[in-house]
Amino acid sequence: MDKKTTTLNQRYCNFIPLSGLLLTLSIFLPFFKVKDSQISKSMLKLFVMFADDRALFEKSRMLQIIILLMASSVVFVLAASVFCMLCRKRISALLSLTAFLFASLSAVVILFTVTSAVNASGLIEGKFLVRFLGSGYWSYFILSFTGLVFSMLTCRISPGYIVLTVLSVIWLVPIAWIVMISFRAEPGSYTSYFFPKKFTLDNYITLLTDNSQFHYVKWFINTTIVAAASCLLTSIIVLSTSYTLSRLRFKGRKRFMDILLVLGMFPGFMSMIAVYYILKGLGITQSLLALIMVYSGGAAMKYYIAKGFFDTIPKSLDEAAYIDGATKWYVFTRITIPLSKPIIMYTLLEAFMIPWADYIFASVIMGDKYENYTLALGLFLMLDRANIATWYTRFAAGAVLVSIPIAILFIALQKYYSASLTGSVKG
Amino acid sequence: MGASNIARGQIVKGISYLVLELSFIFYLIWRGIDDLAGLATLGTKEQEMVYNEAKGIYEVVKGDNSMIMLLLGITAIFVVAFFAIVWKANLKSAIAAQEYKASGKKVPGIIDDIRSLFDSNLHKLLLSIPIIGLIITTVLPLFYMILMAFTNYNMTHQPPGKLFTWVGLENFRIMLMSADKLGYTFWRIFEWTLIWAVMATFSNYFLGMFLAILINSKGIKGKGFWRTIFVISVAVPSFVTLLVIRIMMNDHGALNILLMELGFTSKSIPFFTNPDIARITVILVNLWIGIPHTMLITTGILVNIPSELYESARIDGAGPVKSFLHITMPYMIFITTPYLITNFIFNINNFNAIYFLTGGGPSTLEYFKGAGKTDLLVTWLYRLTVESWDYCYAATIGIVIFLISAAGSLIVYRKSASYRKEEEFSNG
Repeated sequence: MDKKTTTLNQRYCNFIPLSGLLLTLSIFLPFFKVKDSQISKSMLKLFVMFADDRALFEKSRMLQIIILLMASSVVFVLAASVFCMLCRKRISALLSLTAFLFASLSAVVILFTVTSAVNASGLIEGKFLVRFLGSGYWSYFILSFTGLVFSMLTCRISPGYIVLTVLSVIWLVPIAWIVMISFRAEPGSYTSYFFPKKFTLDNYITLLTDNSQFHYVKWFINTTIVAAASCLLTSIIVLSTSYTLSRLRFKGRKRFMDILLVLGMFPGFMSMIAVYYILKGLGITQSLLALIMVYSGGAAMKYYIAKGFFDTIPKSLDEAAYIDGATKWYVFTRITIPLSKPIIMYTLLEAFMIPWADYIFASVIMGDKYENYTLALGLFLMLDRANIATWYTRFAAGAVLVSIPIAILFIALQKYYSASLTGSVKG
Repeated sequence: MGASNIARGQIVKGISYLVLELSFIFYLIWRGIDDLAGLATLGTKEQEMVYNEAKGIYEVVKGDNSMIMLLLGITAIFVVAFFAIVWKANLKSAIAAQEYKASGKKVPGIIDDIRSLFDSNLHKLLLSIPIIGLIITTVLPLFYMILMAFTNYNMTHQPPGKLFTWVGLENFRIMLMSADKLGYTFWRIFEWTLIWAVMATFSNYFLGMFLAILINSKGIKGKGFWRTIFVISVAVPSFVTLLVIRIMMNDHGALNILLMELGFTSKSIPFFTNPDIARITVILVNLWIGIPHTMLITTGILVNIPSELYESARIDGAGPVKSFLHITMPYMIFITTPYLITNFIFNINNFNAIYFLTGGGPSTLEYFKGAGKTDLLVTWLYRLTVESWDYCYAATIGIVIFLISAAGSLIVYRKSASYRKEEEFSNG
């Protein structure tokens, strides 16, 4: 055997021409079928019509493209399959890979464009719907992907890429959409079309400069102050609690852990009304300070992840230091903390995100004091029935701006995020 | 109090005990006794309108405010409890001082005490701020709300205009055992909360793990790139995502328009207005938010599974499915049990996912005061407090939620490896 074929996975090799030939057969099945008007056309019929009389399709360029796509992909796949049967070399596997990739991409493109294409062409009366697509299209669709999977397997490329690509699209589309809306020139919440007609930067400019109704910049500063302060306070509380519970031994330690666990099981904002009156008693409602207190006050209850991390730091380090006469404070600040970078990052990040995105506590505490609002409250306000018509696209701009700092932080720190759950010292 | 410390030379300590005692007595006389008595009655004098003959108008005569009385009463209890602790500490330190004296050692002064806070008593120093924070923002309010569940503080008993009073277990009876509309609503919402929590937790867990395994599998190149794509969606604050998705999936939202433009449907799909579709929608949308999060967390654990396990399994002839079932799954479940529990509790309390997406809707007349078909117990609790001021029912629901989360998780958590074997990691 020569070197090239050894890299191929021969097990799946036979399936490539099989799916290719089946795919070719699908051109005889009905491509679309309209029940009401009894119109049924197979791909072959469309090819013949197209070759026969191009004027029939003059109205819809898209339909011409679709037919060309289908015809070329079927020919391409057929050729690749035959080639694959004749010679089992890497080149033929790669060729069929491209052919099936082309076919499956065309299948997806067709799925999303066929409606407007057929509607424009005037081939059928009334509106076309995707469910009119017949067995011919669907077998073309499925077989092109099956062929793609088999070609990938043969070339020892993981078919997982297909799944990942599809998932990425699902996860990126809403994000891309909101970014797109934030640049849309037409105001209003609902348009009868999906893609904006005109793009502009005005939404961002108005959002940042027009303070007559909403104080976006002020809110942004408020949120940053609250998030930063409570992030610091929360982290100090979480780290000292979890260190104490992990490393120091004292009477009532287990009981204290149980109490914290029990307290954490009450729904957090069950007590918000009482918190509100306590803050009122202290005279600090509707202030940022109150928010900071609320976000970091109960932080001790979130001790367990950090405690799990501290548990994995070898005790021998502490003991060695004690023998040298170090105090417990010294061990905590000079030995444990420097070893705990991942968990510190994780705690900081989590502590920053919670106030950044909280709605309930902020809404109860701030009431109607608009200038002390945080971003979550403010953005929710923009979608109010009274504001949505004018503020919809600006909301989108605001949402994009809110997400950018967190996204940067998150992507930069993500390695700590997963490392923090696995312990400090490997092996 | 404190005399013993002063007599044995611990001047600062003794004086501070004395000051604490005096201020406690002063508090009791000034407020405490009245407050404690008020806790029992919750007010006796209702606010009323009295005709003032001199001015010729009706005037409001202030009555008792049950709510403030309840809050002050609880504060008084906490002060008394705090004092009891101080008193006990005082006794202890007096005995300790005496023992030092008797054994002829030097009695530790204030400087030694402070120094010990950084060494043998470090736990006291480190836990002081967390405990103070907990008491003010969590324990005290919680007691207040728990007690509220035993009063009739609902829409028709609003202070300062009206008084409310103790009703014992009446709220629990109405909520759990009566054929009242409130009871009916409670059980329907309770059912849905459990279904939601189970579905949301497990679907996220398994699909997130699947994604992590997929990205980490051998044949995939550019792992960092794929991970980053999904991390972007974690990085967007969840309220933003949820609001955006709500707009997108509205009856006239972008998704429906797109689906119609592309010919997938001829009329818009009622994602949030049909009860059944709405329930499916929130679960699916929650997947969108939860999967990347689980992926991120499980990735770290997956990477750490000892590769020798897989090697030996492969030599024994185990395929990928078998090694997944017998190595990956048990290992993951072992490590992530606490995560799974916290996630389950988080989902029972997942306010954001429901409130921002559907607001609890579609609301129905079958339910108490327009609660909705996707309302969870928590969102219902929120609506009862904020929209209809039925605080006592809200508090009752809060206690029920607590019981659900506590019952299951305390058992599982105490049995879980990370709790029982906390010593084994560092010693082993």
